[in-house]
Parts: sequence; structure tokens; C-alpha cells
Amino acid sequence: MTPPDTPPSDMPRVDESLPARIAQAILTASRDGPPLVSCSVIAAPEALGVAAAIGDKLLVFHDGATLGEIASGALAAAIRHEALAAIPRHAVETAAFTPAGDRIDGRRAIEAAGDVIEVLMEVVEPAATLLVVGGGHVGRSVGEIGALLGMSVVVLDDREDYANTDRFPFADQVICGDFASELDAFPINANTYIVLVSRGHKVDELSLARVVTRGPAYVGMIGSKRRTRTVLEHLATDGIRADALARVFTPIGLDIRAETPEEIALAVLAEIVLVRRGGSGRPLSPPGQALSGDI
Amino acid sequence: MPSDEVYAEIQSAVTAGEPAVLATVAQTFGSTPRKTGAKMVVRRDGSFVGTIGGGCGEAEVWQEAMDVLDGGAARVVTVDLTEPTDGEDKICGGVMRVFLEPLGRTTAAL
Repeated sequence: MTPPDTPPSDMPRVDESLPARIAQAILTASRDGPPLVSCSVIAAPEALGVAAAIGDKLLVFHDGATLGEIASGALAAAIRHEALAAIPRHAVETAAFTPAGDRIDGRRAIEAAGDVIEVLMEVVEPAATLLVVGGGHVGRSVGEIGALLGMSVVVLDDREDYANTDRFPFADQVICGDFASELDAFPINANTYIVLVSRGHKVDELSLARVVTRGPAYVGMIGSKRRTRTVLEHLATDGIRADALARVFTPIGLDIRAETPEEIALAVLAEIVLVRRGGSGRPLSPPGQALSGDI
Repeated sequence: MPSDEVYAEIQSAVTAGEPAVLATVAQTFGSTPRKTGAKMVVRRDGSFVGTIGGGCGEAEVWQEAMDVLDGGAARVVTVDLTEPTDGEDKICGGVMRVFLEPLGRTTAAL
């Protein structure tokens, strides 16, 4: 990916200034990944005497490499540390720091601390892709809620009646074709979420075999406990790695006693958000307050 | 998440040295039309790419952006959407802090 040192003379001159390299790195990360974190100083009170000014920029790459500079010493180290921690959370947030590099969270705590250095940290990465395998009722609702959540929705089915843009106006891509070959050709990365809700467990099984070892962020497969266990056993017998199979969410979704396709889709997307943001899946209210234990 | 169009606009403004201002929602409190990270690039002719929330507060940010374009420094603008403007309903209701930074000033010390 490194450009040649001396571009041919007929090529447009490449702007190698730091802002240009930063802008190019951000554009590349937003299109193809891997993720990086763009850090911008948005507040740096002079009274603090830190070597940071509003507008200073630092890129922190997923492997810890950096481009640009913000502050120095403990503060610089803290910013880099917080930036790396933001990647798995896909976070976009403003973090407040003391000159010594201690992060302060919460509006009140920040106000109490008085002058703080504030850094806008944005994880830049390709949009999360939601690949829905199966365009039936559940698949349609899954795609619809996924689109609502801002995911880039792709739907795959081998039946034209279930894989067309009239049925999925909110999808970025609708693929009508053979499950195995289309899945083999589909790019899968750490920002790809895959939901297997096809017309039958045989299709789900062959689809799962095609995607499970390729490092997706999430794979979930619909079905009863018994049936999905059989599918996993088949794949284990076929030699699919146990650690990959152990990461399959099946039966799919959070337990909210979902019944309708729309409710099932809600349970599935809730599970996906949980995986994406690192939640617990529990109600935020204390146990026994609103929900009694025997519900 | 900002659209590809916005990142491409930032990249071309910086590379071409074309003066423009990038507005990014840095923080929100309460109900706001766009979330943290939403971006808008304002060009010198006043046209813009991307959105930080349509009618709600965008005009205010655009005004500040024009000032940055005239040589003003990077800054944070706090947009309070809790006060209804004359004759308008209180639609949005939150507060957002928007970070404005100049792009494409190749003469700047960077």
C-alpha cells in the first residue's frame, strides 16, 4: 500500500504535507479500513500550560502507530491509550483530560475539575455491514431495523421473489444468487455482522460453513436449540474450527420472548448492538425494581 | 457516521489547499438531530457538504464557519436548541458542541 518514493513524472504531484497525509489516511480508513482514531484537541486552556492547541491532530492507527502530534509526556500517552481503547467500542466521543493525563468522565466531574484539555476522538472505519442471509419475513425485519440503526444492509437469497429491491428498498445491496458462491465472493471483515435466517437449516448450515472462519464481528443463526446444535455438530465433523463455532450466536438474539418476525428482528439487532458496544444485555434498572425475578 | 462524500471533500480541500471549514459535532446533551461525529464541510462560496442537523442550529454554525473562513481560529460553538426561536416549535431540544476547524490553508504553520 506504500506509494513508490518517486512517482512517474506524468503522475499528479502527491501532496505530502502532514494535513494532506492525515486527510488521506482518514479517507482510506473510512473506505477500506483498518480502523484508525482521529484525535483533535478542541479545548486547551492556556492557563494549564500544556503544549497543545485547539486544532492539533493526531491519528492513532489500530496497531498503535501514530501520525501527527498532540501534547507530550503523560498526557500524550494517555490520549494514545484512550484512542486505542475506543476502537473496539467503535466510539466517537470527546474525552477530557487533566494536564497529568488523567481522564475525567461525566459533565459534573468535568465542571468540577475546572480547566481541562478536551480531545475529540473519532474511530474512523467502514460502515458496519449487516449481511442478511435469507430474505423472508425475519430477514426483512432484520434488514429494516439494521438500516434504521445506520448499518449498511446487504440481503442475499436465491429466490427472486425474496431478493429484490422492491422488497428491500432500505438495503444498500440485494443479491439474488447461489448462497455458497455469493458468500464466497462477499468481503467479510471485523465490521461485518452476519444474520442467518434463510428458509431452512440446510441453507443456514452451508452458509455458516462459508463465513464462520473468516473473522466477522458477529454471526448469528436462527433455529431451535436442538436444531442449531445439530448444525454445529455437522460443521465440527466437517472440520470447521471449534473456536470459530464457539463464537456463533445460536439460537439467535436476546431473550425478550420475541414471537413475531419484527420482535425476533429486534432481539437480533439488540444482540448485535450489545456485541458492537460491549453491553451486558441486562435491564439498566436494579434487579427486583421494575422486573420481578419470576417474569 | 459521516458519508464518504464528506471525507472525500475534506481530502480534496486539504490536498488542493482550497479554503474550507470542517464542522464536527463534538458532544451532545439531550435530544439533538445528529449524534457526535456528524460532519459538515463549508466551502468559501457558502455551499456545504454533509449535515450536522438540518434546520436545527445549522445556520448558527454556518455563520461561525464563515468567520473561520475569513481567517478566524479553530473553535467550539455551543448550539443551544432548547430555546425555541420566534414562531418555531421547540423541535430538537438539546445542546450540541460543534468543533470548527479550517481546512486547506496551506500557508498555515503545519
